[in-house]
Amino acid sequence: MTWRDLAWMPAAFVVSFTINLTVIILALGVVTWFIWWFATPWLMRARAAVDRWFLAYSRTETLEQRVQVLAETRADLVDHSAAELRRLERDLHDGAQARLVALSMSLGMADAAFESEDPEQARQLIKDARSTTTAAIGDLRSVVRGIHPPVLADRGLAGAVAALALDMAIPVPVDAQLPGRPPAPVESAVYFAVAECLANVGKHSGARNGWVHLRHEDGVLRAIVGDDGRGGADPGAGTGMLGVMRRLAAFDGTLSVSSPAGGPTIVTLEVPCVLSSPRTTPSSGPA
Amino acid sequence: MRLVLAEDHALLRAGLIQLLEGNGFTILHAVDNAPELEQALLDPEAEAAVLDVRLPPTQTDEGLRAAIAVREARPGFPVMVLSQYVEQLYARELLASGVGAVGYLLKDRVADVAEFVDGVRRVAAGGTVLDPEVVATVMARQREEPVERLTPREQEVLGLMAEGRSNAAIAMHLSVTEKAVAKHINSIFTKLDLPIDEDDHRRVRAVLAWLRV
Repeated sequence: MTWRDLAWMPAAFVVSFTINLTVIILALGVVTWFIWWFATPWLMRARAAVDRWFLAYSRTETLEQRVQVLAETRADLVDHSAAELRRLERDLHDGAQARLVALSMSLGMADAAFESEDPEQARQLIKDARSTTTAAIGDLRSVVRGIHPPVLADRGLAGAVAALALDMAIPVPVDAQLPGRPPAPVESAVYFAVAECLANVGKHSGARNGWVHLRHEDGVLRAIVGDDGRGGADPGAGTGMLGVMRRLAAFDGTLSVSSPAGGPTIVTLEVPCVLSSPRTTPSSGPA
Repeated sequence: MRLVLAEDHALLRAGLIQLLEGNGFTILHAVDNAPELEQALLDPEAEAAVLDVRLPPTQTDEGLRAAIAVREARPGFPVMVLSQYVEQLYARELLASGVGAVGYLLKDRVADVAEFVDGVRRVAAGGTVLDPEVVATVMARQREEPVERLTPREQEVLGLMAEGRSNAAIAMHLSVTEKAVAKHINSIFTKLDLPIDEDDHRRVRAVLAWLRV
């Protein structure tokens, strides 16, 4: 037995082992390939499930995050409604209420003028009273518009947005396809959001044309307000858009602004919601 | 002139009846809800209607819908629509048929009795009487052809025509002579390519062109 014979033994062992292993694996592959063909996706899915179980947020963590979001939006909403109530109080106090006081005074003075038999002065005071009444009605009307615009109650979101668009100085076609009505609070939030966007288009964009799209797809109400103005809009710059974002956040709604310098500006509002069954309304005529 | 009146507020209804009857109108039917209004408008004796936009049962815009419906059935039937608030959208819907004889005013304009009664008469005669608030929002729009060919003064005159004012009233409002107003109006008719016609019809058509309905 030479050293070569000795060396042959491990070499032969290694070579034959490798060959045999290859043959076995190949044979197994030939026999079982169709099993792998079908089993691999399932195995990978099982693997992913295991990974997810170990690595993903737990149910508790998800719920904790949700609670945090809800607490934040609720606090914002409470602040927002408190501010709104203060604004309403101020509007009524400085507007209609003050005018009604003036009205009462004019009528009291007119009464006194009749007493002192000065009909000419009495007539003048009654005339004043009438113009004060008109102004008070005007004030109340604008307060009501700020709370819940009558056209929104009459015609729903699509009609009310069309009415807003008509009052713009530039042409703003409205393309609305809503097969029903969103819940009233969502409708109101989206209406005021679109109103704010259109006000910004009118004030800041320098646009010659604007447009509004309203859609409800995959359980999401989407409003898109666009214009061909100068762009560069910063949603964080004014308080208006921040207020809109806060109000939408209460419904898990989002607002995104795309406004490169040079335009166009496109604001997208999305609120998840369900539409109520369509109300039978005749078409709202040409706009 | 025999009128149908629809107003759900009892006090306002009584006030309107008193006001209109005191000015030579006859109130044929005074109703306070939409179904009765529809019935009343079927009366062939009715010559015009004064309607509130909001009426029971739904308190939304049934008065407006009734006005549009009756004008579909009886084209040119004069309606004066009153509302607590005005929308350009609704003015356009009322005038969408392209026929005049439409009034659309804020309710508080009734306080100026003489002007209101005059407005009802103008509407009954086929004119248009739009609330100054509607006129102001239309005025704020960027104009397109052919209305942009009008001078600012002519646009102002056209706005006052839309409010249903007579030449004399327009002249007084702008502190110019009636002759100057007539000149502006003729220029408006020419620029809007309105053919020679009865003066009142041309006025209505000029207003319709201005609203682009």
